[in-house]
Amino acid sequence: MSRVAPLLGPLLFRPLRRDRLRFALTVAGIAVGVATMAAILLANASVLASFSATVDVVAGKAGLTVLPDGPGIPEETLERLAWLRARGVTVVPAVVATAALKGGNGDVVEVLGIDPVTDPAVRDYRFTSRLDAEETTLGRLFAVFQRNSVLVPAPLAERLGLTEGSELGVFAGGAVRRLRVAGILRLEGAARAAAGSVVFADIATAQELFAREGFLDRIDLVVPGDLDEAQRSALEESVRNSLPAGVTVGRPDRRTATVDRMVRSFRVNLTALGLIALLVGTYFVYSTLSISVLRRRSDIGTVRALGASSRSVFLVFLAEGAALGVLGSLLGLVLGAGMAKAALAAVGGTATDFYLPQAAPSLALEPRALAIAFLAGLLTSILSALAPALEAAHVDPASTFRHGSVEASRRRAVKPLAIAGAFLLLLGALATRPGPVGGLPLFGFAAVFLVVAGVSLLAPFAVTTVARHGDRLAVRLLGVEARIARANLTGSLSRTAVAVAALSMGISMMVAVAVMVGSFRATVVDWVSQTLKADLFVAPEGGRSQRALGRLPEEVVTLLERVPGVASVDPFLSFEATRDGVPFTVGSGRFALVAAHGDLPMADGSDTRAVLARALSQGEAVVSEPYAVKFGVRTGDLVTLPAVDGPATLRIAGVYRDYSNDRGTITIDRALFRRLFRMDGAVSLALRLDPAISPEEGRRRILSATRDRFALRVQTNASLRDAALALFDRTFAVTYALEAVAIAVAVLGVFSTLLALVLERRREIGLLRVLGASAARVSRAVRYEAAALSALGIALGVFAGAAMGWILIHVVNKQSFGWTIRTDVPWAFLAGALALVALATLAAAGRPARLAAATDAAAVLKEE
Amino acid sequence: MGARVVVESVRKAWGLVPEAGEGAVSEALAGVSFSLEPGDFVALLGPSGCGKSTLLNLLGALDRPTSGRVLVDGHDLALLSDAGRDLYRRRTAATVFQFFNLLPTMTSLENVALPLLLDGVPPAEADERAAAALGEVGLPEKSGAFPWQLSGGQMQRVAVARALVAKPSLLLADEPTGNLDSRSGARVLDLVSDLVAGRGVTIVLATHSTEAAARAARVLRLRDGLLEA
Repeated sequence: MSRVAPLLGPLLFRPLRRDRLRFALTVAGIAVGVATMAAILLANASVLASFSATVDVVAGKAGLTVLPDGPGIPEETLERLAWLRARGVTVVPAVVATAALKGGNGDVVEVLGIDPVTDPAVRDYRFTSRLDAEETTLGRLFAVFQRNSVLVPAPLAERLGLTEGSELGVFAGGAVRRLRVAGILRLEGAARAAAGSVVFADIATAQELFAREGFLDRIDLVVPGDLDEAQRSALEESVRNSLPAGVTVGRPDRRTATVDRMVRSFRVNLTALGLIALLVGTYFVYSTLSISVLRRRSDIGTVRALGASSRSVFLVFLAEGAALGVLGSLLGLVLGAGMAKAALAAVGGTATDFYLPQAAPSLALEPRALAIAFLAGLLTSILSALAPALEAAHVDPASTFRHGSVEASRRRAVKPLAIAGAFLLLLGALATRPGPVGGLPLFGFAAVFLVVAGVSLLAPFAVTTVARHGDRLAVRLLGVEARIARANLTGSLSRTAVAVAALSMGISMMVAVAVMVGSFRATVVDWVSQTLKADLFVAPEGGRSQRALGRLPEEVVTLLERVPGVASVDPFLSFEATRDGVPFTVGSGRFALVAAHGDLPMADGSDTRAVLARALSQGEAVVSEPYAVKFGVRTGDLVTLPAVDGPATLRIAGVYRDYSNDRGTITIDRALFRRLFRMDGAVSLALRLDPAISPEEGRRRILSATRDRFALRVQTNASLRDAALALFDRTFAVTYALEAVAIAVAVLGVFSTLLALVLERRREIGLLRVLGASAARVSRAVRYEAAALSALGIALGVFAGAAMGWILIHVVNKQSFGWTIRTDVPWAFLAGALALVALATLAAAGRPARLAAATDAAAVLKEE
Repeated sequence: MGARVVVESVRKAWGLVPEAGEGAVSEALAGVSFSLEPGDFVALLGPSGCGKSTLLNLLGALDRPTSGRVLVDGHDLALLSDAGRDLYRRRTAATVFQFFNLLPTMTSLENVALPLLLDGVPPAEADERAAAALGEVGLPEKSGAFPWQLSGGQMQRVAVARALVAKPSLLLADEPTGNLDSRSGARVLDLVSDLVAGRGVTIVLATHSTEAAARAARVLRLRDGLLEA
């Protein structure tokens, strides 16, 4: 290392001082990429942490938890587990539901129905008001719990202006239920569930509120603390053997795994997009260091001639890359922490929209996420520095004054690089064939990165080919400035090709995401118009939640059928289930109605009426596309449902398109559903009106008929379609932001490269002035060079983006979420966006062009 | 037809030199006067730092004198507009440098054609004339070569071809043999004296070499910014 220190001054620090602007831009480029990664990782971590925290808090001191695979745990399961008390195990039942509050902001809360006698064994409760001298927490719990009473955490109570004895309005079962606040809890223990968005009632109250009579949602088992692992496992096995079908037992943390799986595809896709933004930024490092090596060749030759080893030179340039990485990553973390809040609003919003509406993710500056973002920025910077550092180490002192020989070696590499690039593209095509790995489209991601790498390696070939064949035409149309620009492009290939590659990378990401999102949106619009054909849609009032919360009683179904002007009512009934920890939905509808209107497009184009008619007559099921992909099933296969009386095996009559969620749904006819699961009512209803009745009139009549008894959300077809598309647009808002980041960084890269090239070519620019070129001509030549870089970057970027878009649609999305998306290119948007990029690149040439025009020919030619 | 050049009491000063006393400035030229008739071949002889390059920069309209006048064919160069100076450098004066100053990103042919293209000559005609110029300097086979593929002497011959292709009336050669071995240098001087002078072009050759200066018809000795008598 002592041999490296003397080189740091001449080869690193002094040149850094001279090129301050360029290095500042490079640090900025890395910082933006790292900030994007950090923001996404922090948002993801915060979302997961808030979900996991709730899971952990609710699990409390439980050593084992009994959970349903189906609609619920029959209450008689408690009797089956009665033997556990003799073993010193406390059996703690609970009901869990989600409800919207009346008042406030329509907050959504978790409702935990507990047994006040046994629950304190698993979860802690601390009241804000002092206990009396002889009182215990258990006693207080038992005393305050009466029918229709709740305990509320202090922050929630404060937000809603509640005190002990206040009334709290809750939307449950389609009605407003008034509950009495029996106590206020400190934000500790069980009250921390859902970040304090939780209320506690007794089991009977909760069962009645949410029509869960006879069922529980979990049974926590507090096992003796002196059991070793073998004894614990044996106990678990014994419990498993005592349980009815459709109910499982396991360690409490498996629920976290379920939650994690629910949001994993979404998180991974977002992280992959963030990674591309980071890669665009780290192209900067390669470009900057390559330019540095070239500019300092004579200095390198001099120090080598004085006895410095090639290893020392290598370490100096590697250190430069590391220094850029450290500075850029540190700055990126600061920026990223600031951006994380905005990212969380987008990511968290989608997560709560689609997955867990009661969760209220708050930003957690998780050290692991920050460390990963920092290391990603640093490592990619060091990796990018490797090639230039190796080149610097191999500088031949004797050849340092032969400027063109370096570029000559670059030109010799054009063909091999092009062949390598074509090979990578071929590999990328092959990588689209294999299926998902662990449910994740890893080969799909690999294909995307292979396309990016392949097109990058083709950049030098593109530059030289276009330059060679376009020279004559360009000179004829644009004059000698075009030739000067062309000569500079090919003469500085090591720099210009890298700038083209970086720009193409940013553009390809933009094109790919625009094509993917545009196609997805077009598909969803088509699907919405095919499936949302009813005139009105009714659901329980759900406050801020976009999802339907809770279930309406059967009475509502009957009531709506009798409203004058209502031609038909199709109730949708469902519950959440799991299989081997993987969540899915079991739903139902009136197949006869759906078949009559053809509201369920089949994935393979089969006739909906025929499929549903068969399902209805044969007692079969239809499954959504995400379900079919996730569980690897197709038409004709068998599925097993966790029915109340034991597993029910049904044949799959067809696979239908469903873009409302990625969880996957098995749908059966309503009558069959009610028989298998002993549930009635509806989660939502689709109503068709008589032709003479307008949707607004229909809505008015329904609200009028139900106002006194039920709180319903009634949406017209038009407003539901608008809401669905608004939800879609909100979901992809963060990807639009990522596209903009990638483009901005790439355009910065073009600016930085042009600036470096102008500074490097001062002598040549001076010579042009000596030969009689005006300042305006010199400026134009720089702008033409920028235009050529822009055009080449856009062309390569569009080509790569089209390929990546295809992969995202047909491989990554398909394997992640199971959706079939038809390709629909948003031409107008792309044309506008690419025009903006071209303009931005030309604008980026402004300063370098002005610098070139202002060159003092006499001064630069005097410098030897 | 060569250019008529008149240099009248030209001074060129460069900023303040505190160690020389208050108000003292550094002067590259301290009052130079001479004149050249069309077709004259004159050498500016003097050691490094005597002001030769500065004087050539003034004659090439790359710089303006602090005082005095430089007249070429009756036109005061200092009074030309920027566009006028660009035109002057394209059509009237051409320069050959010590370090060749070929554009490394262009081939020999492209380097030689460049002044013509800058002057609006169509590309096909420019390439034709450039090829002919390369032939005149004995390098027809090197038209596709880049500068780094040429020897020093070859690069300088390409530079001479570039200087001649636009048919200037004034050639400014700033130490054209300074970076060459004696044989290559002699060959370049042959080109300058035979090819260039034979066309009646006025030549100003700046050099510190008496052998090079001997090629000229007249020698002006420059020392410390002044011509020796």
